[in-house]
Amino acid sequence: MDQNYTFMFYGFLVAWLVVIIYVISIALRERKLRAELDRVKRMVDDREHESKR
Amino acid sequence: MRLKIILALSVLSGLILSWNLHTMFLKVPDELNQGAIFRIIYFHVPSAITSFAGFFLAMFSSVGYLIKKDLRFDSVAASITEVSFAFTTITLITGSIWGRVIWGIWWTWDYRLTSFFICWLLYVGYLMLRRAIDDPTTRARLCAVLSIFACVDVVIVWKSIEWFRTQHPGPVLSIRSGGGMAPGMEAPIWWNFLALIMLATVLVLIRMRQEAMQREIDTMRRYAHAF
Amino acid sequence: MTFLQQALAIAGKDLRSEIRSKETVNASLSFALVILMLFSFAFDPGSDQVREISGGLLWLVYAFAGTLILNRSFARELVNDCLDALISSPASGAQVFFGKCLANYLLLMVVECVSFPVFIIFYNARWPARWGLLLLVMLLGTWGITVIGTLFSAMTVNLRLRELMLPTLVYPMLIPALLGAIRLSTVLIAGEALETDDQIWFKLLAGFDVIFTALSLALVEIVLVG
Repeated sequence: MDQNYTFMFYGFLVAWLVVIIYVISIALRERKLRAELDRVKRMVDDREHESKR
Repeated sequence: MRLKIILALSVLSGLILSWNLHTMFLKVPDELNQGAIFRIIYFHVPSAITSFAGFFLAMFSSVGYLIKKDLRFDSVAASITEVSFAFTTITLITGSIWGRVIWGIWWTWDYRLTSFFICWLLYVGYLMLRRAIDDPTTRARLCAVLSIFACVDVVIVWKSIEWFRTQHPGPVLSIRSGGGMAPGMEAPIWWNFLALIMLATVLVLIRMRQEAMQREIDTMRRYAHAF
Repeated sequence: MTFLQQALAIAGKDLRSEIRSKETVNASLSFALVILMLFSFAFDPGSDQVREISGGLLWLVYAFAGTLILNRSFARELVNDCLDALISSPASGAQVFFGKCLANYLLLMVVECVSFPVFIIFYNARWPARWGLLLLVMLLGTWGITVIGTLFSAMTVNLRLRELMLPTLVYPMLIPALLGAIRLSTVLIAGEALETDDQIWFKLLAGFDVIFTALSLALVEIVLVG
């Protein structure tokens, strides 16, 4: 009976762990994308600047 | 606007989930034969339904892409598939833990476990293919085709493995004929289902925003190279 | 030219180049023999156990040997940009695909027909009394492998990881067809009576072939041309 409770706990834990890991992976990707967006924006700005001169 | 929807949905789903924890542990008694462990059903079944619904939606969105050739459809399909995939993983693992207690084994080649595992493998292929192709339109095109194939295949797999007979309990929900659960025990499943659907929607919306960001990056890069 | 004529022209081209070089059939056949030999280490080859898993053995060999043929099917067109030429030729994508399917089907059937007697000898099985039915199972199952395999071969042809992606995508997709073929082959090789339950597997095999042939023909234009 005790073991029963432990395994139920494990089950819930794993379910939430999967969600949390997925959310973390999304957050990491968000950060990478934002950094890349900044870089590309700067690149576009530079090129525009150069072409005007 | 979208940010508000995301926030509202996640708060609402959090509230329902915590309310459900309360019902699950304090209101619902232990099941007669299985004891406490049966409560896994409150996550196992809703996440299974969520993931299946997701794969079907992703297929429709893929068909939409092939008709309209609009990359936004591809983003929807990709986001939904990815979130559904996470829920498939949850279903597999919670099911395995449940099986360990009730059947005494972690895994058995019963038809629903097998079909779910095959489904999981099919969508691993989908996610791998997405990573393997760099060009956005080619990726959208091929992944849309694969999504349609995978979805049709899941249906056939389901039917064919069912004929191999089974260890998994039959349907226990009342919408299928001859439901076996007491109404008080079943209600939290549906509440949890609602909460998980909301959670899935939130995740899909976030993923879609990221896909939009990716598209923006791609266009800007093309623009920068035009100079 | 009609649909079939175009497809046959493509199939003829593929088969002719294969007959001249014999590279894929040779590779596939020797690979099939290697797997058949390896399986003998996995269990006791002469025991009754073999009879129970004979269908599974046979179809694993066919599926593995099949991917070798299928991998090359579109990849061989990459040299000298032959694939682009094929796509821009008057033949439609569906015709190119169907022609390639026919060629692959024939090649895979040859490999299967050669490795089957070898299997019988190696594993001390008896020649099946109802070999006609077994041939039917082989024809249906192989068509399933070929249709799915050829379509995915077209899908993965331009990828860097082509050789890795094809099997990972194809095998899970093939499971229903393989299941049916394995079940029927096991019964037929063991010489047991086909029960009425088993007829459902014939239907499954035929249904799988029809559904995926139609789906592939409908979608292959998108895969090849865009």
